[in-house]
Amino acid sequence: MEFRFSQKEEKLREDVRNFARAETAGRGIISGMEEESRDEDWGFAMSMSKKLAEKGWLTMAWPKEYGGQGASFFEQHVYIDEASYWGIPGTTMGVSGIGWVGPSLMICGSEEQRKKYLPSIAAGEPDGVWCTGYSEPNAGSDVANIQTSALREGDHYIVNGQKIWTSCAHRARWCWLAARTDPNASKKQHSISLIILDMKSPGITIKPIENYAGIHIFNELFFDNVKVPVMNLVGTENRGWYHLMQSLAFERHSFAPQFYGKGRRTLEFMVKYCNEIRYNGKPLAVNAVTRHKLAERAIELETLKMFGYEITWKMSKGLIPVYEAARNKAYCDFAMQRLAITGTEIIGAYSQVDINYKWSKLLANFTRLYMMFPGLALAGGTGEVQKNIVGQFKLGLPRAY
Amino acid sequence: MDFDLNEQQNMLKTMAHDFLINECPKTRVRELEKDAKGYDTSIWSKMVDLGWLGLIFPEQYNGTGADFLDLVVLMEEMGRNILPGPFFSTVALCALPILKFGTETQRRKYLVPIADGKNIWSLALSEKSGKFEASDINTVASIDGNHYVINGEKWFVPFAHVADYLIVACRTGRLESADEGITLLIVRTKSRGVTINVIPSIAGDGLCRVRFKNVKAGRLDVLGKVGKGWKVINYLAQRATVLKCAEVSGACQAVLEMTQAYAKDRKQFDKPIGAFMAIQHKLVDMLTDVEGLQYMVYYSAWLLSTGAKADVYVSMAKAKANDVYQRVCIDGIKIHGAIGFTLDHDIGCYFRRVKAAEFVLGDTDMHLDKVAAGIGL
Ligand SMILES: Cc1cc2nc3c(=O)[nH]c(=O)nc-3n(C[C@H](O)[C@H](O)[C@H](O)COP(=O)(O)OP(=O)(O)OC[C@H]3O[C@@H](n4cnc5c(N)ncnc54)[C@H](O)[C@@H]3O)c2cc1C
Ligand SMILES: Cc1cc2nc3c(=O)[nH]c(=O)nc-3n(C[C@H](O)[C@H](O)[C@H](O)COP(=O)(O)OP(=O)(O)OC[C@H]3O[C@@H](n4cnc5c(N)ncnc54)[C@H](O)[C@@H]3O)c2cc1C
Repeated sequence: MEFRFSQKEEKLREDVRNFARAETAGRGIISGMEEESRDEDWGFAMSMSKKLAEKGWLTMAWPKEYGGQGASFFEQHVYIDEASYWGIPGTTMGVSGIGWVGPSLMICGSEEQRKKYLPSIAAGEPDGVWCTGYSEPNAGSDVANIQTSALREGDHYIVNGQKIWTSCAHRARWCWLAARTDPNASKKQHSISLIILDMKSPGITIKPIENYAGIHIFNELFFDNVKVPVMNLVGTENRGWYHLMQSLAFERHSFAPQFYGKGRRTLEFMVKYCNEIRYNGKPLAVNAVTRHKLAERAIELETLKMFGYEITWKMSKGLIPVYEAARNKAYCDFAMQRLAITGTEIIGAYSQVDINYKWSKLLANFTRLYMMFPGLALAGGTGEVQKNIVGQFKLGLPRAY
Repeated sequence: MDFDLNEQQNMLKTMAHDFLINECPKTRVRELEKDAKGYDTSIWSKMVDLGWLGLIFPEQYNGTGADFLDLVVLMEEMGRNILPGPFFSTVALCALPILKFGTETQRRKYLVPIADGKNIWSLALSEKSGKFEASDINTVASIDGNHYVINGEKWFVPFAHVADYLIVACRTGRLESADEGITLLIVRTKSRGVTINVIPSIAGDGLCRVRFKNVKAGRLDVLGKVGKGWKVINYLAQRATVLKCAEVSGACQAVLEMTQAYAKDRKQFDKPIGAFMAIQHKLVDMLTDVEGLQYMVYYSAWLLSTGAKADVYVSMAKAKANDVYQRVCIDGIKIHGAIGFTLDHDIGCYFRRVKAAEFVLGDTDMHLDKVAAGIGL
């Protein structure tokens, strides 16, 4: 039992902190997904991606030959935690590329694909921005039900169909696409392939979808006879389902340090606010109800911290954390929801003020979190889907759906 | 960073697990709840032989020189299998502070018989309010020549009725601030003027009311410094709280495991009930609670073992333990259906102990308030 970070890891934390202080002073904490919406936010985020790449942090756990630093999972953990604490924009670049396209290509991509796609992600370039096309109108939680087809004609696939909720499609250079490559397969899972799609290809239409707060995160994607070279197939044809499951585990493992970092900072903002604000002549900080709510939120965040440590520790031992990643995703959603609700309750009526307006409190951090958490809880698989995974894979219970 | 137990801890864990399953089945636990002593002297003497009582004492006090984390692992197993008895009161509440604050004479005099299983100890702290607050200490020790004379009343003192010695928190000074002027006195339970009554309780776990009427204690029987007893209490409370949390963590693991096994086994509507999503997701929530608690306990125990400031994490662990123990038991019983509501089922043994764990060394509200202070409120 030993929970200390190494000196090297602590040094990295300090470097990231100094970088963040210099680059992001006075900004609120916006979620990775929000930065995809407005041009000025996106431009700033990409400029930061570039700087993070120059520091060697953006994809630090990747091997050197693909633009990484060969850093340990613990170093990566420290970087993610600290960068999320400060809310450094540009750490995810639309999430897909850094989050799972890179790691998946390193496992099941061809050497040619790795050489072609990984360096631009690692360098924080616009060409390294990816989106992910899994969900369709009739395939949400039930991803295996996708209908979009990619049928072979000579050395091309011809893609037809529709994706929905595709985050960052309006910024992306590439799409990590799941499509059906064998219309005659007996089992749904045995006819899916993962394909790299050039977003500049003719036949693609992107229709923006605004969320209920007017933020443009996701899109509809329509494919009308889009031609994709066969060499853009990832891994084995019709084995895409299994590659996809792996990429989903990658997607989920960094949720805990990301939200722990962000949550801790958000909580600190709130503590400061409660010490400053006076109510009935006393600082809000002495109010028992307020104290207990925030103490509970702190305990939830520290629990999340331990869950994050556990996954990183297991990965560093060469294990693939499957149920742990699902558990952490569900727990993140829970902790995020509780923090957002507590925060808006404490801020009270002012939590309704538009986030861009001067009367909003605490840099609008809580209003932002409050408006975002229900969507973040769905992205990457809903809580129910995560709990089904834990029930089956950890508790060994029968499939319940 | 390493979540694994070391080799020695794994051995201790396996040994404790096997020993407790064989020696203390739940039938015995239920009998002991009704027993006048509340613990099994033959199990106790085997524990002495295993070196558990002196586990973390240095060898010169007949101990085995293990460290605090080893004791955490042992308590986790004791909680998992429910071992009724005065181990916690003797080792966690009394031996630990004697080891740290006792004079060399006191350590030799008191620790050796503890390690040898000859003496049982307890801490007489809470009073009528049943709370863990310095301001509630009203038992008075006044000086009369070479003696202190103690008058007052202590409540919820674990296993006082079988103890040989008590550490009694007394007021010896003026009440300038609540935690000043408290002195810890070592008192023999056989001393004249000590009256002990067992408080009948849900868990039948030997909680006592102890009354002191003109009880004499020698001036050398002070543990720590005169007037500075609360410092000792703070020291022991952090460690004992983590040990109590480890016990709760083990208990929660056991409740989860038995409920998980039952959900696979019990069929209704031609399916194992674990195949109903409502049950499955409840079990997943239980797992998340149980794993989260275990890691919080390990983290705070590890922090304490490094000598770092740990009070906030200790309070986090205790607030979480209180919360999780209760929820896991309630959901566990519900998943068992009516069988979980019976005396013969083991899950009730755990549920009966929820309140005992909750109110020892500070309730949830108290610990949440400490956490609030710890995060800067
Ligand atoms: C902000 C945001 C960004 C997103 N970005 C992307 C993206 O970039 N690429 C992409 O492909 N997708 C993306 N998604 C889509 C996301 O993956 C889906 O929303 C999610 O998988 C759920 O699918 P659905 O919305 O169709 O809901 P449904 O699957 O229709 O689910 C509706 C409800 O039913 C429940 N449910 C469904 N099946 C079960 C079951 N077996 N057991 C219990 N409950 C069940 C769900 O939990 C949910 O509560 C994004 C979504 C959001 C909100
Ligand atoms: C105090 C008490 C008094 C009682 N008195 C009487 C009495 O006088 N007469 C009498 O006949 N009975 C009586 N009962 C029995 C009572 O009706 C049953 O306990 C109850 O119907 C549940 O059945 P079970 O205990 O077998 O649990 P099970 O049916 O085995 O259920 C175990 C768990 O699985 C869950 N579960 C089962 N099926 C499903 C499903 N389809 N979907 C989701 N979850 C499911 C249950 O909710 C429960 O959590 C009494 C029970 C109690 C506790």
